[in-house]
Order: sequence, then C-alpha cells, then structure tokens
Amino acid sequence: MTTHYLVLSALLFTIGGIGVLVRRNAIVVFMSVELMLNSCNLAFVAFSRMHGNLDGQLMAFFVMVVAAAEVVVGLAIIVTIFRTRRSASVDDANLLKY
Amino acid sequence: MELYVPILILAVLAAGFAIFSVGIAPFTGPARWNRAKLDAYECGIEPTPQPVGGGRFPLKYMITAMLFIVFDIEIIFLYPWAVAFDQLGLFGLVEMVLFIVTVLVAYAYVWRRRGLDWD
Amino acid sequence: MISAPTIEYLEIAPLLLVFGAAIIGVLVEAFAPRHLRSAFHIPLTLLAIAGAFVLTVLLAVDKTRTVAVMGALAIDGTTLFLWGTILVLAFISVLLMNDEGQFVAQAAAVPGSAEEQEAVLEGQAQTEVYPLALFAIGGMLIFPASNDLLMLFVALEVMSLPLYLLCGLARRRRLLSQEAAVKYFLLGAFSSGFLLYGIAMLYGYAGSLDLAKISAALGTVSGMDPLLVLGTALLGVGMLFKIGAAPFQAWKPDVYQGAPTPVTALMASGTLVAAFGALLRVFWVALGNLDWDWSPILWGVAILTMVIGVILAITQTDIKRMLAYSSIAHAGFLLTAFVATGGPEQNRVALSSILFYLAAYGVTTVGAFAVVTMVRDTGGEAGHLSRWAGLGKRSPILAGVFAFFLLAFAGIPLTSGFLGKYAVFQAAVAGGATPLVIVGVVTSAIAAFFYARVIVLMFFSEPAADGPVIAAPTVGTALVVALAATVTVVLGVLPQPMLDLAGAAARSLFVY
Repeated sequence: MTTHYLVLSALLFTIGGIGVLVRRNAIVVFMSVELMLNSCNLAFVAFSRMHGNLDGQLMAFFVMVVAAAEVVVGLAIIVTIFRTRRSASVDDANLLKY
Repeated sequence: MELYVPILILAVLAAGFAIFSVGIAPFTGPARWNRAKLDAYECGIEPTPQPVGGGRFPLKYMITAMLFIVFDIEIIFLYPWAVAFDQLGLFGLVEMVLFIVTVLVAYAYVWRRRGLDWD
Repeated sequence: MISAPTIEYLEIAPLLLVFGAAIIGVLVEAFAPRHLRSAFHIPLTLLAIAGAFVLTVLLAVDKTRTVAVMGALAIDGTTLFLWGTILVLAFISVLLMNDEGQFVAQAAAVPGSAEEQEAVLEGQAQTEVYPLALFAIGGMLIFPASNDLLMLFVALEVMSLPLYLLCGLARRRRLLSQEAAVKYFLLGAFSSGFLLYGIAMLYGYAGSLDLAKISAALGTVSGMDPLLVLGTALLGVGMLFKIGAAPFQAWKPDVYQGAPTPVTALMASGTLVAAFGALLRVFWVALGNLDWDWSPILWGVAILTMVIGVILAITQTDIKRMLAYSSIAHAGFLLTAFVATGGPEQNRVALSSILFYLAAYGVTTVGAFAVVTMVRDTGGEAGHLSRWAGLGKRSPILAGVFAFFLLAFAGIPLTSGFLGKYAVFQAAVAGGATPLVIVGVVTSAIAAFFYARVIVLMFFSEPAADGPVIAAPTVGTALVVALAATVTVVLGVLPQPMLDLAGAAARSLFVY
C-alpha cells in the first residue's frame, strides 16, 4: 500500500524538481520548490503509517510551518527585486557571474 | 449517548450565536448604504470586468496574505497539545504559553510597524 | 499515556540565551523609538553572544557529555567546541555589522527612488539586522548539535532564512545585493527540498529520525537498501550544498560578492563551521557503518571541490569572489580529513584536526573580510582587484595585515592556516586517503599562486592616482582586524593549547 503513496510522492518531487530547472519566473520556481517540500510530507505521512509511529506525522507538521516561513521570506525577497527591476524572471538577474 | 451531549450543547451554542448576531444586526447597527455594499463580495477585489491579463494587485493584499499564512500555520502546534493536554499537565501548559508569547512578540512587531493598517 | 518530556535547561542555556535575546531584539524593534534602536541592539546582541560563550565554557569545564531534550540535541565535546567557535566568529562578525555604511537605510524603498533618498537623509537604518543575525546564529548553534533529523532540518532553516534576508540588505550596489538574495534563496530552498526528501527516505528505511536508531537499523533492517542509498545521497546533496562543496558550489561566489560584507563574513565563517559540524555528525554517527558506500563518492567530491575552488579562484577579478572560491577550496581541504574514517583512534585524530582547522580558518576569514570593508571607492567597497594595486604603498599596515591573512589561507608556516592544513592532511594520510592529500598539496600550491598575486599587486605596483580611500575603521572593525591577526599568529606560533583543546573535545567522539 505504501508503495502507491511513495510513487505519487516521487512523481510530485520530480515535477517540482523539473519545474525549478525549466521555469523562468521566480515565483513559479518557488512554487515548484514548495511542491517538492509537500511531496516530502506525503512520503513522511506514508512512512509514518507503514512504521506505525508518529515521528513522520510530526515531521510533516514542522515541514509545513517551515514552508510557510519560507514562503514569507521568499516572497519578500522576490517582490523586492521585482519592484527594482520590474521583472521576476530568473534570467534577468544576471549581474553576478563568473 | 451521554458522551455526545456536550457536542450537542456546543452545536446549539454555535447556531444560537450565529442566529443572534445576524438577527440583532439590523436593529443595533447604523444602516448606511453605498455602492460597495451592493457589489458582489470578492474579498475586497474590484469585481469583474478586470483588465486584460488579470491586472496587477496592490502589494497590500500580498502583505496581508503573507501575515495571515504565517500566523495561521503556527496554530498547527496547538492541535497535538490539545489532544493530549490533560496528560501533559502543567508542563505542556507552560510550554504552550511560552510558544504563544513568542508568536505574540512577532504579532506586536507587525502591529507596531503598521503591517495591519490598510493605508 | 503520554508523559511530559524532560528538558535540560542548563545544558541548552547558551541556545536559550541567544534566542531569548533575539526575541527581545524584535520587541525593541517594535517598541523603541527609531533613533534609540541601535543603542539597544548592539549591547544586547554582543552581551547575548558573550554570555552564551561563557555558558558554553562553563559547560565544557563541567565536562558535559549528554543527550538533551529527549534525544534531540547532543551536547558533547564536539558540540561545545563548535559552539565556542561559532560564538567567537559571530561576536566578531557582529562587531563588523556595527558600521552604518554597510546596511540599507530602508529595504522596502526601491533603489534610486525618492523614498530611498528620503530614508538616507533622515538617517533611517534597518536595525532588524541584529535580531536577524541572532536568529541565524541560534540556528548555527543548533545545527551541529542536532541529534535527530527533525532538529537538523529545523535548525538548517532557522539558520538559513535570516541569512537569505540579510544578503539582500546591502546599502551600496543594492541590485547586486538583491540578486544575491534571490539566488541564495532559490538555490537554498531547492537544496533543502533534496535534504528533506533524503530525510524522508532515511525515515522510511529506519522508522525513526533519531541518528542513533538509524545507525542501529543499518545492521538489522534488510530489503530496503534502495531507500537507504537514496536517502543518504539526497541528504548528502543538501548538506554539501551548505558547505559549498563542488558540484554544489555555484551559489557561493555570487552570494559572497553581493551580500553586505559583514554578512559575508558571518556566512563564510559561522555557516561553514555549523554545516561541517552537522555533516560530521550525520555521516559519522548515523551513517558511520556505511562509510564503504559514501566514502568513494565523497573522495570524488573532495577532489572536485579543491580543484574547482583553486582553478576558478585564479581567474577572479573581484576580491570577494576570490575569497569565495578560496572558501570552496578550503571546504575541499576539510573534506580530505572527513572521508579518512577508520577505527575510533583514527576518527579522533581526524575530528580534532577538522575542529582546529575550522576555528583557525573561521577567524582568519572574518579578519580578511573586515579588511575588505575598509578599502572603499566613492560607490562603496572597492571590490575590483585592480583597485587594490599599490595599496601597500598607501597604507602599509592594512595591506600588510591583509597579506598576512592571505598567507594564512595559503598555509605558509608560522600561520594558523599552515598548522590546520598540516593536521588535516596528516589525519587524511593516516586514514588511507593519501591520493586526496596529494591533490590537496598540489591545489594548495596553485592556491598560493593567486594569493601571492594579490600580495604582489598590493606591494609592487604603482597606486592609481584616483585609488580607493582607506576608510578610518570604526572601533569595532579595528578590533576585529587586530583580533583576527593576533589569533592567526598565536595559533601559528603557539598552537599547542588550541590543539589540546580540539583533541580533548574530540576525545569521546560523539554522544548519541
């Protein structure tokens, strides 16, 4: 049974990972990261059920809180750079290189 | 069946409060009508038609949404405690109060920095 | 029936002090009038860090070796040594922050706008940097002490989130600073996604997040090896990103260059120490019996890190980027001792050499960045190397001190860098990682070339007519440079007390 959840979780993680790599809008990149974190949550809860202990569910709680904090910090940073450059494309942030 | 009586009482209280609030409002509140009140309710957003491409929203919405998410999610830690608060005893209570106080510190910061003001 | 947990308040007192001060800092931000805020913050922050250091020393004198807070934190010799190191590095980095020219007047104002000018004229300051730094420092303290993977993840985020924000708060060259913050944030969040999935896999394998229980499961659980291998690999990716090991090093130069220099100093020293401590604990305690599997891969990572670090450092024209690549190379040198695991005696030697290296390297790094803050053009710090030409003729003392720090990075005898490198390579040879040491020595020689190039540039070329100004250092900056130089000399000439301390800290390895 756990396998199904793990496959779904792995798929979500992969979709998130590919999203980070191919999308150009910083907000969408960030949404993809959030998808990765949530796929981890699914894996934690599935394993928690498999092992019959609550550690995984507890972990999922903390991941949700951390993800919320990350959203706030991340959006603040992205909005700041958007207001400066009028663009949220990660390709436009190219002053620092080599 | 007796176990369910408190739940029933709670349901009655909740329903009673809702009916009471809605029922008393026309008699106690001032009645001022304007255009905004007659519009469809869309969380403060101008109803349709919107500009092509969805338009852009003022940053104020985002700040409010972000503050909401952060404070909303913190509540998650109250659930495990609420399930086992009788077994955790005084220790659990003290720790929870400490936790709420730290969240309140953040709230005080937001409030003093006028993060809650609309204009 | 659930019983209430026990919390060893005494053993975690340094953490409580730092976080308590950070929360008080937030209250100061909320209620103190604007012009009084920094007058509150600076003593509060410095006292909290100093107090935490004293508490750490007391715990060390007490020979505390215990697992605290229901197994979440391991307070052992290694933890206490790293706490002491991080707190010293944090203290001197905060001294650097105490310089009004470093941080933005109002982060929300768009660069170049009327609001920004107004904020500068009014003398506003984003004094949130002090509580943010304290939160980051608190995260750094928990990170190497975390004895279960839940604590590890939370500590990582508590450390990283304030640093993401601090990166974007430079007063000058704000576009670079904001770009650094975006890059650091997106890549950091991406890597923590990998770390978290790795934790999930290890939890699936062992059924517990506790490092000791994962270690025990290695011998008993069978038929779930894919989970174990995947978990170890993903966890490794997340942690190697934080120390900036190749091929996960790409963020380091960009972020180090764009961030305000005091923040760079804190990241280059404190974060590296904390992340390396956490890497040691996870891989040696939880996955120690698996070293036949991860060691070959980390050999490759170590070689790649050293080579990429020094080769790319040669091509740099910006002083902060060069120091960033140098920091990547040093992470590689540290990894040589990290993979040289063996019996308990060998592990002890390797661990103590890493501890000594981290302390020595961290202090020198903060000193070097302190010098960077003082060499200024009209538009802020003079980052380009060509601007440093002839500095030795205009300001011999400053250039001399900087040259000395560079020699310590290069590992010239009579500096702390030499002994650190010697100890690490010696441990690596004893642990059978001789090929790594050969690569390490060769790359050190190449590294010496680009450090020497900067020294030659400073002392043997003519200063430009419109060369950079040497800003009169604030008391804090002068203190940092003097202290870093002294420590670099003392650890190079009289290293024995520090070596003994590192040896004593490593004696009982890790508790779990």
